[in-house]
Amino acid sequence: MADEKVAEKQPNMIPIKDGLFTMPLTSPEQVRLVGSRCRLCSEVSLGTCMACPNCVGEDMEIIPLDRRGKLWSYTVIRNRPPGDYKGPDPFIPFGLGLVELPEGIRVVAPIAGDVDELKVGMELELEVYNLYQNEEGSDVMAFRFNPV
Amino acid sequence: MKEIVIIGVGIHKFGRFGDKSYIEIGQEAARMALKDANMSWKDIQAAYLSAMYLPATSGTRILRPLGATGVPICDVEAACASGGVALRQAVLGLQSGAFDTSLVLGVEKMPRGFMEPSMIYDKWQIEMGMDTNPSYWAMRARRHMFEYGTTDMQIAKVAYKNHKNSVHNPYAMYQREFTIEEIIGSPLVCDPIHLYEICAPDEGAAAVVLCTKEKAHQYTNKPITIAACNHAIALYSADFRCPIDFTSATASNPGPTEVAAKKAYQEAGIGPEDINCFEVQDTDAFCEIEIYEHLGLCKPGEGGRLIDEGITEIGGKRPVNMSGGLICKGEPVGASHLGQIVEIVWQLRGEAGKRQVDNAETGLAHVLGAGGNCAVTILKN
Repeated sequence: MADEKVAEKQPNMIPIKDGLFTMPLTSPEQVRLVGSRCRLCSEVSLGTCMACPNCVGEDMEIIPLDRRGKLWSYTVIRNRPPGDYKGPDPFIPFGLGLVELPEGIRVVAPIAGDVDELKVGMELELEVYNLYQNEEGSDVMAFRFNPV
Repeated sequence: MKEIVIIGVGIHKFGRFGDKSYIEIGQEAARMALKDANMSWKDIQAAYLSAMYLPATSGTRILRPLGATGVPICDVEAACASGGVALRQAVLGLQSGAFDTSLVLGVEKMPRGFMEPSMIYDKWQIEMGMDTNPSYWAMRARRHMFEYGTTDMQIAKVAYKNHKNSVHNPYAMYQREFTIEEIIGSPLVCDPIHLYEICAPDEGAAAVVLCTKEKAHQYTNKPITIAACNHAIALYSADFRCPIDFTSATASNPGPTEVAAKKAYQEAGIGPEDINCFEVQDTDAFCEIEIYEHLGLCKPGEGGRLIDEGITEIGGKRPVNMSGGLICKGEPVGASHLGQIVEIVWQLRGEAGKRQVDNAETGLAHVLGAGGNCAVTILKN
């Protein structure tokens, strides 16, 4: 009984994709994106990967990526994306960008905030947030970047 | 290596055709190509279908009604590059001596709107809204503008040129000229790309009949030589769209268009300066500017200058997308490259009517799509 109450207070948080975030997700402001660094050629990739896409080495080290980055390029999504988009309904246009992190990697991510304020080079910070609740009642956690 | 030639071409208009089935659409293009080659279906020893959106064994379903001759029919898929990859398989088969004649048919029947995301993106990318296909080109455009000063006006000029060319192409979905103001005034789809600067998925078919050069005289006195047909997939960190899955700032590789074009130029023994006309993947108007650079028509960052100076217009030194390109024809993915080949063949035969490039002796066709798949074909008289 006591356990059930705890479960009610703290809904189960699950990542939108396994291996994308540092765990646990209970303090989203401390969560970071996960990268894989090749121990042979030192290239960094997003998430966990079975082999280095650069040199095909299989000795990969899991690293937390920096929460801060810079906008490398961007666009504005003006129409509701195709498929099972979980964002606001009715649709609100949003920024989509390539965020360059200090590790050298560029990550595709939604950019929160005013679409008219987007600028190449602007400073951004990661936000891990609840995008939607799935059928089992778990909070599905996704990511976006906010202007600093 | 055996010389392979094109002896017949056929096309079904690109557009939207309601209840007309992909089978009928494909058969029309195939029969037109066979007729153009002075051949009947029983003369064909192998066939390839390029398609992305069609069901299993579509090649057989389209072609067997022409006669159940028992020839091998192989379906090929490589997203936007499907037609180039199918053509390459046919060329390799002919060069190997496995057969002497073949038919390559591209057919597509796609729904309106953005491409089906589950074919290209993972579930989490779709749920987060990162699956609007033009967004990746748009981000390349924005970066190109930042690095090289490419302008909205230059991008609009590419769309203006292609729409203007399309007026004379009865096989294009849109055959209408737009003013620069109409193009820049059309709704933004993915900034900085506007609606009239972007291609739409649609329906259509195109076909080519190939044979070895020594057999060609039996059918035609105007064979067109396939001087090169190459296929490349993006190297690490060189995905044409921008890194969708991974990349790094420390490693840098040439893009798939640069790789495929370099191989094709080597194979053909000629360079971009020797080529008289081009049909390239203008998924949107910006892409065409970047492809000028990647095909070696100019240096990196100079693509905008080419359009400003009119070099890529039909009367210019390096005409590009005489047919109106995909912006005007639409992109029936499996058929698009073969449609480009049909246009180049007509250009080299001098049969392109009001789109004709003077004294066209050589031409290049280029497609680029999902997975970093790129195909480049060079034809010559």
